[in-house]
Amino acid sequence: MSDHTYSPAQGQSVLWMRLLLWALLILFAIWFLLPAYVVVGTSLKDLEEIRGGSLLALPHELNFSAWKHAWNEACIGVRCTGLEPYFWNSVFMALPAVFISTLLGALTGYALTKFQFRGANMIFALILFGCFVPFQVVILPMAQTLGRLGITNTVYGLILVHSVYGLAFTTLFFRNYYVTIPDELVRAATIDGAGFFTIFRRIILPLSPPIIVVSVIWQFTQIWNDFLFGASFTTGGAQPITVAMNNLVNTTTGVKQYNVDMAAALITAAPTLFVYIVAGRYFVRGLTAGSVKG
Amino acid sequence: MASLTIKNAVKRYGNVEVLKGVDIDLEDGEFLVLLGASGCGKSTLLNMIAGLESVTEGEIMIGDRVINDVHPKDRDIAMVFQSYALYPNMSVGKNISFGLEMRGVPKKERDQAVQEVAKMLQMDHLLDRKPSQLSGGQRQRVAMGRALVRRPEVFLFDEPLSNLDAKLRLEMRTEIKRLHKRLNATMVYVTHDQIEALTLADRIAILKDGEVQQLGTPAEIYDRPVNMFVAGLVGSPPMNFIEATVVRTDSGYAAEVMVRAAGADQTVLLDLDAQAADVSDRVGRKIIVGLRPEAITQAGQKAGGDAQSFPSDIDVTEATGADTLCVLHWNGKEVMARVSSGYAQIIEGTMDFAVDMSRASLFDPETEKRLD
Ligand SMILES: Nc1ncnc2c1ncn2[C@@H]1O[C@H](COP(=O)(O)OP(=O)(O)OP(=O)(O)O)[C@@H](O)[C@H]1O
Ligand SMILES: [Mg+2]
Repeated sequence: MSDHTYSPAQGQSVLWMRLLLWALLILFAIWFLLPAYVVVGTSLKDLEEIRGGSLLALPHELNFSAWKHAWNEACIGVRCTGLEPYFWNSVFMALPAVFISTLLGALTGYALTKFQFRGANMIFALILFGCFVPFQVVILPMAQTLGRLGITNTVYGLILVHSVYGLAFTTLFFRNYYVTIPDELVRAATIDGAGFFTIFRRIILPLSPPIIVVSVIWQFTQIWNDFLFGASFTTGGAQPITVAMNNLVNTTTGVKQYNVDMAAALITAAPTLFVYIVAGRYFVRGLTAGSVKG
Repeated sequence: MASLTIKNAVKRYGNVEVLKGVDIDLEDGEFLVLLGASGCGKSTLLNMIAGLESVTEGEIMIGDRVINDVHPKDRDIAMVFQSYALYPNMSVGKNISFGLEMRGVPKKERDQAVQEVAKMLQMDHLLDRKPSQLSGGQRQRVAMGRALVRRPEVFLFDEPLSNLDAKLRLEMRTEIKRLHKRLNATMVYVTHDQIEALTLADRIAILKDGEVQQLGTPAEIYDRPVNMFVAGLVGSPPMNFIEATVVRTDSGYAAEVMVRAAGADQTVLLDLDAQAADVSDRVGRKIIVGLRPEAITQAGQKAGGDAQSFPSDIDVTEATGADTLCVLHWNGKEVMARVSSGYAQIIEGTMDFAVDMSRASLFDPETEKRLD
C-alpha cells in the first residue's frame, strides 16, 4: 500500500472503507464465535453459577469438574461410566477404518489410472456413484450383511461399514490425484523390473502424502462424526462416542446438567478439531496439489 | 550382442490400425532412427519393442528370440523417455540403481556400477540430488545413465532431446553418438527432427500413417528418396518440386520449365540425360523434377562438368551465414537456390545459375513415387 499515493480526500474515503470492513469482519467473527464461547464457558461453570449468572458471563474460575464428570462418571442409560469407554470405541473404530479405506482407495486409484484395463472408466463411474448413495439407503442391506458375518453390534462391524462406505470417496481422491502423475514413470519402473505392488510402494506412495492427508482428514471426520451407522448397528457398550453423547444428554436424572452436556460435546468434538488444527492447512494444499515435477 | 528384427508388425486399437505391417531388420550395433510426423506411430512401435504395448500381429525378435510375450524387464532393453520419467522421490544415484536393485544385484556392485556410469556422463557430483534440483540437461543425463547402467542389448530412445534448448540438444546429440560408438549397442531412436535423424543414424526408417516409406542410410534417404513425402520430409530447406514437361532433344530427353529472367518467362530445358530413369514414354507429359537447393547454385567457379547454367531473377535473398538462399521464380512458383554468401550480396536482380541435374530426383505427378 505504501507505494500508492492518494490525494487527502481519497485517503480519507479509503480509510473509512477500511474501518467499515474491519467492523463488519469483527461483527461476524463474534457472531460465529459466540456459540463456541457459550459452550466452553458453560462447561467450566458449576450448576450454581449457571443458574445464578447470565449465559454470556465469564466463569468465576476454571472448574473442570463437569469435564471429569462427563469423562468417567456421567450415566449413559443405566451405566454410569462416563464417555471414556465410548471414546475408545470411536478411536478403535476410526483408526482402522481410516487406514483401511485410505489404503484401499490408494490402491484402487492407482490401478484405475496406471493399469488401464478395459472398462476402467466404467468401474470408476460406478464407484463414483457410491459417493451419492445416502447413508439411509445402505442401512438395511448392511444390517443383513453384518448379521450374516456375525459382527453386528461390534466395533469390527462399524470398521467394515465405514471402510466400505468410505471407499468411494477415497478412490475418487486418489484417482484424481494419480491421473496427474505421468504414466511414463510407471512405464520406466516396469522396464526397470518393478511389479504392480513394488511400483506402488516405491514410486507412487512416496508421491502421495498430500492426497493421503486429504483422505485421512476427510475419512476421520466422517467416521468420527458419524451418528447414523453407530446408532443403527450398535447398542449399549459397543456404541461410538457420538451415540453415547446423545444418550448422555438424553439421560436425565433429576436436574439437567448443562455444564456436563457441554463438556461432553467438547470431548466428542475434540479429536476432529485437533485434526483440523494440526493438519487443516495441508488439506487445502493437498486438494489443490498437482502432479510431480521432474 | 543382439540384432533386432521386426516382422510385419501390426498394431490396432479397436479397429483403428495404427501400424500397418512394419518390417525392419537391424544388425547388432546398428543405430536406427524412426523419423516421421506427429501421430505416425513412432512411439507405438518403440513401445512395442519395449513391451509396453502388445503386438497385435507380427513378430519382434531380439537376437533369435521372439519377444512378443516376454515381460519388458526380461527383454534386455532400456528406454529413455521424452519426459525423462525420473522417479521424483529418489536421489539421482537411487534413480540409476533402481533397475539393478530390482534385479537383485548386491549393493556393492550397484554402487560401483552407478559410480562408473556417473563418471562416464560426468555427473558424479549430482548423485545425491533429487531430480527436481537438476536442470533439464542434467535430468537428461540421469535418464541416460539409468539406461546405461544395466548394459542392455538394445537401447530405445523416445525423442530424448526434444525438451532441451537448441545448444544443449547439439551437445547431447554428440554425446549420444559418442556413447553409441563406445558401447557398440543396438539403438532405436525416435525423433521428428530430420537433422537429428541424418546426423545420428546408421539407417533411417521413415514412417507415415503407420507404414515404413523408406528404410535406408542417411545418404540414400537424402539423395534418392523413394517418394515425394520422404523427399519433402528430409532436408532443410526442403527439396524444390518443379513440375515440368518432358520433351525430346537431340541428345535424349529434357524437362521443360519456364524460368523468370530479366522480368520475363524464358523456356529452359533441364537435361535429363544424367538420369537413370527412362522417360521415353513420358514425352509431352508432366513429371516432377525434385532439386535440392544446393543443386542450384551460382554459375561459374564450381559448376561441375554436367551442370548447365542459365540466368534467373532473384526475388528475395536470405543469408544463413555460410550460404545465402535465393528465392527464384520457376513455373510461377518459388524455388530455393543455395549460393555461397559472397555472390548474392553482389547481385539482387538477374544472375546466372548452374543446375546439377545429376543430383535431381524425378517423380511421377500422380503416384508421387520416384522414377528410376
Ligand atoms: N490407446 C490408444 N487408443 C487409440 N489410438 C491410439 C492409442 N494410443 C495411440 N493412438 C494413436 O496412434 C497413433 C500413433 O501414436 P504415437 O504415439 O505412436 O505417435 P507418434 O508418432 O509417437 O507421435 P508424436 O511424434 O506426437 O509422439 C496416433 O494417431 C494416436 O492417436
Ligand atoms: Mg511419440
